[in-house]
Amino acid sequence: MNSVLATQADAHRPSDVLNTLKRLGFGAVVSVPDGWLGKILVRIEHQHTMRLVRATHEEEALAIACGLRLGGVRTALLVQNAGVLSMGAGMVSLAQRYQFPLLMLVSYRGTPDDPVFYHVPKGRVTEPVFRGIGLSYACVDRHRPIGPQVEHAATFAEEASCPFALLLSREDIQW
Amino acid sequence: MVATTRPTRADYYRVLADNLPPQALVVTSLGNASYLWAKLHEAPENFYFEDAMGLALPLALGLAIAQPSRPVIVVEGDGALLMHLGALVTVGAINPANLTVLIIQNGVHAASGGQALTNAGLDLAQLARASGIALSENIEKPEALAAKMRDGTARGGAECLVLATEPDLDVVRPPVALDPVVIKHRLQAAIGAPRYVHAVFGGGKLESS
Repeated sequence: MNSVLATQADAHRPSDVLNTLKRLGFGAVVSVPDGWLGKILVRIEHQHTMRLVRATHEEEALAIACGLRLGGVRTALLVQNAGVLSMGAGMVSLAQRYQFPLLMLVSYRGTPDDPVFYHVPKGRVTEPVFRGIGLSYACVDRHRPIGPQVEHAATFAEEASCPFALLLSREDIQW
Repeated sequence: MVATTRPTRADYYRVLADNLPPQALVVTSLGNASYLWAKLHEAPENFYFEDAMGLALPLALGLAIAQPSRPVIVVEGDGALLMHLGALVTVGAINPANLTVLIIQNGVHAASGGQALTNAGLDLAQLARASGIALSENIEKPEALAAKMRDGTARGGAECLVLATEPDLDVVRPPVALDPVVIKHRLQAAIGAPRYVHAVFGGGKLESS
């Protein structure tokens, strides 16, 4: 392994995610937590420049995020992939229809790296559903630094005026 | 002609239009909630829902957080509210004093033809209070709404007014095309919201003009 890869492997990727959101001027995060997201949300809650809104349901979270962005606040959604599966109507009828640029940081549960029996059914359909509802997305490359990948996703959302989901693995987001 | 015992949506909307606070932003739910408001008070400060039933309240909550110095008024239906009842809890938890929630309680899904609700007789004001919105009240008459709107007393949190309303099933024709993207952009322009500057122009962030 060369020195660059060694450095990347040692980096604390959730810290890089948080620092990238701060650097890009994100003023709010709306979330429904899961096991991987819980601790980073506590960190976000203690930031002076970001407001954390804890929603009861992911489709509700999506609408809150649209309202924040409508009001001029750059906003990220932090949810589990199951949550995106349950926000389909709001995604197409609100976020996409009104062209709200939203960064969605999505914990990707039920993959071969996360073979929990009750997550697997969600992992299996996540990307096909995303494609089906026309949600732009990318999977994080674990061999590259996470910060630039978050920035690229955020930039795509703004440049294309649409939600963009970045699918994250455990080491990317679990503090 | 059958006499109705409850006021119409238009009765309440006239009161709202006549007593709208300065700089208010108004978010309206789908169907006649938006169409009739557009007919009575079309303005760039309005955000009309085309569909997305049940999401007007949480969107208005986000808008109220983003624009704390402006009053934000949301008109949601009782059926739409029941669809995302959790949003009431989130509003109660955050409790922004600049948010006024008006719930049209007509007991039916008016926008889809008047189908009965799962429970048309719920005490929604009590439900809102239990959700953390202490300033919640059932309203029976437009005059009572007018009194509330004219009350200039500073509030310590969000207010939820449940308006007993006769169902309106005939679709109102709005005076303008309610193009979703245009509606979004003109509201953002009206409030001077920061705009994203494209990366090719050296931007990549939201910037105030």
